[in-house]
Amino acid sequence: MSRMRITCAAAALLASFIVPGIAHAASKQEMVDLLKAVDDRQRNQGDWRSMIYMEQKEKGKVDVAYEALVFRRSQDQKFIILFSKPKASQGQGYLRIDKNLWFYDPSVGKWERRTERERIGGTNSRRSDFDESRLAEEYDPEDNGEAKLGAYTAQVMTLKGKPNIDLAFPVLKLWVDKESKNVLKRQEFALSGKLLRTSYYPKWKKAYSESKKTDVWFPEEMRFYDEIEKANSTLILVKSVDMKPLEANQFTKAWLESKSR
Amino acid sequence: MTNLILDFRIALRSLFQHRRRTFFLVTAIAGVTGLLVLLNALSTGVSDTMIRAATTLSSGHVNVGGFFKVTSSQSGPVVTEFAKVAKVVEQNVPELDHWVHRGRGWAKAISDSGSMQVGVTGIDIKNEPDLRRVISVVSGRIEDLAEPNTMMVFESQVERLKVKVGDAITISAQTNRGAANTVDVRIVAIAKDMGLMSKFGTFVPIDTTRALYQLRPDTTGVIQLYVKPKFVPHVAEIAARMRVTLEKAGYLLMDADANPFWMKFQTVNREDWTGQKLDVTTWEDEVSFLTWTLKVISVLKVVLLTILIAIVITGIMNTMWIAIRERTREIGTLRAIGMQRGGVLRMFLFESFQMGLIGTVAGALAGSAIAALVNAAHIRVPLSVQLFLMSDQLHLAIDVSALAKSVFMITAITTLAALYPAYRAARLPPVSAMSHFG
Repeated sequence: MSRMRITCAAAALLASFIVPGIAHAASKQEMVDLLKAVDDRQRNQGDWRSMIYMEQKEKGKVDVAYEALVFRRSQDQKFIILFSKPKASQGQGYLRIDKNLWFYDPSVGKWERRTERERIGGTNSRRSDFDESRLAEEYDPEDNGEAKLGAYTAQVMTLKGKPNIDLAFPVLKLWVDKESKNVLKRQEFALSGKLLRTSYYPKWKKAYSESKKTDVWFPEEMRFYDEIEKANSTLILVKSVDMKPLEANQFTKAWLESKSR
Repeated sequence: MTNLILDFRIALRSLFQHRRRTFFLVTAIAGVTGLLVLLNALSTGVSDTMIRAATTLSSGHVNVGGFFKVTSSQSGPVVTEFAKVAKVVEQNVPELDHWVHRGRGWAKAISDSGSMQVGVTGIDIKNEPDLRRVISVVSGRIEDLAEPNTMMVFESQVERLKVKVGDAITISAQTNRGAANTVDVRIVAIAKDMGLMSKFGTFVPIDTTRALYQLRPDTTGVIQLYVKPKFVPHVAEIAARMRVTLEKAGYLLMDADANPFWMKFQTVNREDWTGQKLDVTTWEDEVSFLTWTLKVISVLKVVLLTILIAIVITGIMNTMWIAIRERTREIGTLRAIGMQRGGVLRMFLFESFQMGLIGTVAGALAGSAIAALVNAAHIRVPLSVQLFLMSDQLHLAIDVSALAKSVFMITAITTLAALYPAYRAARLPPVSAMSHFG
């Protein structure tokens, strides 16, 4: 009896070593699949047009609000942001072509090359916040278990940047709704490990994409909180999403200049 | 020679005989000279202050900096394997006194109460004797910058960030590969403001800049060369020679651009190259956005000087004409007792020369005394002036050679102004001059 007990205990101990290993391997693949699903739900594999409203709150400064049009083309990762409000920013725009981000200011009539990590309009938002999600291409996920986020049950994962890919944030922490697979919360960390920004995605919406032949999900509301300058935050609302094909020559400097006049 | 001495004595005696006229003219000449001396002192003082501040805060006399581009759109102010570059410099700049290397960066400094964009200069405080001598620390110890993750800020930044010695600040920046990074530093020293540059310049240990921008230990931001004092006016030639030398040594160089490095990011990011390119600048290039003050003072000096000299020339000529008219009979008598035309000419020229010399020497002494008084009074200048002066006090610097030049120039002009009236006096026929009434 005693020997049986010892055998059982040994088997249990062995299992405790082996099973988590298997579970961890499976979990890693699950995480990758989940990340791919997160990306895929937001990818429309075609053209995109939307109106965005941005509101920036900064300590000691007057709140700033912007209105802009966002255009993007999945095929070659082209991208435009064209500001329409306020009047001082009207006609200013960002254009991403050939993996370079350009900024145009009609008041000086000049194009300036900007870094991909540019803060759009000086807010706490980046170009990538308006672009298609490419998390699975850029990061390796790690399982951090489940967590309750309000009424939602979220899968928490830590994403670490893949080698040889230049990323603004080398480490991310993601909370993905287990049911809908929409991102609920995201935290971005510096190389030093310091938390820089926390983002919340409280509202998701879907729209039918002709090119994808199915629905595409997008966050209708995004809230970014600066974790170093605690009083700074940015609200972004995404409106009037349209995924019909855009003009062939739209993603050019000439087009943006013509719209800036 | 005897004649010359005699003419000189007659001229001197004549000056004393017409004391009132002499007094007014000498006072006018002294005033002009004094003003010129003060303008020169202001210009030299501003220039000295600017060189001292610029070559302490952000530049050497000559700088070998540059950019490293990981991709065509991502650049950082970095010199890789700087020891090799420094060796080339040491071997080819005989005018070199010493050199230091500093890290360069632009980041956001965030305290609990505020934030601001700052220039982050990485230094090795043990090798920065000039910095320790020139910067006036009002709180903390500059030597503590030898400790890792420390920072020295200026008084005006303290107002924005609301920090004191011992407080922590987060510095946030992007690495040259575009990744966000932060470093937490502790304020160890607060320095007295030194003009515009101290509005945004901060100092940290060089290893802190390397950690912030994820740079290797063999990299730096700039090699700052300090030449021996007598070569400071020749820094442009030394910089031009350095460009050729570095190119010969196999380094790629950026096109010469007389602007500070932080104004070059846009240009560098527009260009389609990757890797390392060096840039050679002088201290004047690095503060080119401020040297306009020197140009304004120079233009002002020329304009004022032209007006004043025109007034002096008119005054001298006019006085000489009057003197000749008043002393026509005297000239006739002198001619009748044997004085040659040359003697008459010399007599009037000597008179003018003596007035000029007395006036300019008096003016130079008065100007120098005023400059010394201004310096002793430690006059504080308004904030807007401090920005460009790079000092909170007005400093006037008397350059002895410039002083001698001023004395010589105004004396020469005064003497030459009397040339034509003296020539006309010498041409007067003795008989008609003796019978002149008026």
